[in-house]
Amino acid sequence: MTGSGRQRISWAVVVALVTGTIAFGWPLVLRPESGMRPEQAPIVFALVLPLVLAVMLSEVVDGRMDARTLAMLGVLAAVGTLLRPLSAGTAGFELVFFLMILAGRVYGAGFGLALGAITLFTSALITTGVGPWLPYQMLAAGFVGLFAGLLPPASGRAEIWLLAGYGIVSAFAYGWVMDFAFWPFGVGNDTGISFDPALGPLQNLHRFVLYNIATSMGWNLGRALTNAVLIVLVGPALLRLLRRSARPAEFTPGFEPSQQGPERTE
Amino acid sequence: MDAEGTATLTTVHPWAWWGWAIGLGIAVSGTTNPLLLALIATAMVVVVMLRRSDAPWARSVRAYLLLALFVIVMRVFFRIVFGGGTGDTVLFTLPSIPLPDWAAGIQLGGAVTAEALASTLYEAFRLAVMLLCVGAANALANPRQALRSVPAALYEASTAVVIALSLTPQLIESIARVRRARRLRGDSTTSLRALGTIALPVLADAIDRSLALAAGMESRGFARTRGLPVKGTLPVMLVSASLATMGVFLLLSTSYWQLASVLLIVGVLGCGLGLRAAGGRLRVTRYRPQPWRGTDTLVALSGALAAALVLGLGWLDPDSLGPAALALLDPQALFPSTDPLVWPTVTAPMLLVVALALAPLPLTRRRRVATVESTRNDTRVRLLRPGAVPAPRAEPTWR
Repeated sequence: MTGSGRQRISWAVVVALVTGTIAFGWPLVLRPESGMRPEQAPIVFALVLPLVLAVMLSEVVDGRMDARTLAMLGVLAAVGTLLRPLSAGTAGFELVFFLMILAGRVYGAGFGLALGAITLFTSALITTGVGPWLPYQMLAAGFVGLFAGLLPPASGRAEIWLLAGYGIVSAFAYGWVMDFAFWPFGVGNDTGISFDPALGPLQNLHRFVLYNIATSMGWNLGRALTNAVLIVLVGPALLRLLRRSARPAEFTPGFEPSQQGPERTE
Repeated sequence: MDAEGTATLTTVHPWAWWGWAIGLGIAVSGTTNPLLLALIATAMVVVVMLRRSDAPWARSVRAYLLLALFVIVMRVFFRIVFGGGTGDTVLFTLPSIPLPDWAAGIQLGGAVTAEALASTLYEAFRLAVMLLCVGAANALANPRQALRSVPAALYEASTAVVIALSLTPQLIESIARVRRARRLRGDSTTSLRALGTIALPVLADAIDRSLALAAGMESRGFARTRGLPVKGTLPVMLVSASLATMGVFLLLSTSYWQLASVLLIVGVLGCGLGLRAAGGRLRVTRYRPQPWRGTDTLVALSGALAAALVLGLGWLDPDSLGPAALALLDPQALFPSTDPLVWPTVTAPMLLVVALALAPLPLTRRRRVATVESTRNDTRVRLLRPGAVPAPRAEPTWR
């Protein structure tokens, strides 16, 4: 069960992590002798990533969640779907991520992963945000929820500060990896701050830092502050609320962990 | 034609629309010829305008058009500010700003040439048309029906998506209810604290709703219809996903494109088969599944053919062709030169691509607009009377 203390990361998540690293870090991988143009790389990945996402979701969600967890997943995704158009665009003021972080903390890494991916998917359907970037966003937001579920144990005020700090770090990480993957989409080729496969990875990283400072530093900062402020303000009450409904989900007081892992009560 | 036949002609399978649009997107990615791009974009907009439904997602093309315009403007802006590029035809010169050492190698301002601007515009236009492809699929395909046709292995994930999509309107209603309750208690402050007094009750309400929903799902036997996982599907899916990833990695970082494509195809096929097999444990039936018909295959195939045509044309070596074939096919017309600037040309194969983009028009039929006449319309009854004069069609004559 996802609510229990011990976290189990399945192999599907590991494969998704590896694929995600290559997919987001393709500017470090692309070589000129491959004959691929920089704009084609994210498109190729946008065709492969849905498969990886499907494998990951079928492993994390399907067959592991009972009706209660699934209903909670759907409802929290609905809340996120409602929050996304409210916050779309204005200077990085993004309201969806703090909910994923808190829910991932309470219900575990697998739940956070599924919530991140599904929230971004449903809100893209509503806000006409479907595009080659959607698989990337789903994967990145899923990882935001995943790592929120893997944070070390803490309680009281320490937990809130831990989550707020994670909110800041994850906001910057999300912004950087998304910008990195869609770098040629933003600026085009052969300007001074564009990706150039002929240069080495280090030179390209240098260019990317300049590009990022020039274009999206403010957005990342806004997103990080929104996360931190919301977690500090609403976090304690929301964590109580989520934990209250997470607790009766484990209504088998004396279950014995068998060798296959916890069993469902029939 | 009977009513049922008409229905199949007007409702194309959502994944067929996606296949058509993705194929066109791949075709677009293989050219920078602005004339061809403009023709494909026009063809797509025409298909969307003539074949879209009146559902809310069908109006999304406008948003995608604005996004495409934004992309073009941003790119031209970056090109002008950050300079670089080739060419001798200087249009105007911006003052150049010296930068500190850590930003070495980057030039702000300077001369802006027509060649550099044209090359940026071509690239930006290609990206904009690719965005438009996604927008067209979004407008034409019904997302709810597409969700119902996902592999059974994703049954529970798609259930969560459906719950989320159908609960969102209820949450808006819940917000209105909480605000009304606040006002009735005489609390009408608008501050940051007020946000908490609205948001938390709404969330609590949503969580209660999820508990009720779970109880409803369990009482109807949800999660009792699945058997044990099919042995061996997970390793197959994981290995296939890794193979596909490795294929893309090789495609990007080396010149072994043959090996990379084989790995990619094997990986994608393996993932598909694995997902299909993993769905076998689910023992549920589907309510009114959308059938996949010949028309759907043809619509999807037209996109795939367009992609194959453009990529194949770009693959040809101009030196190995005879003069007649070169004049007819002219692979270099796909990437018109910007330095020196030449006027792009349209060749016969390009017109074929545009025809393929328009192929859904003859294959499908326009969605009939449901005009509900008044139930009190008795024109037909009155026409049955002997010596009756047919009423003019424009004005419904009912009283």
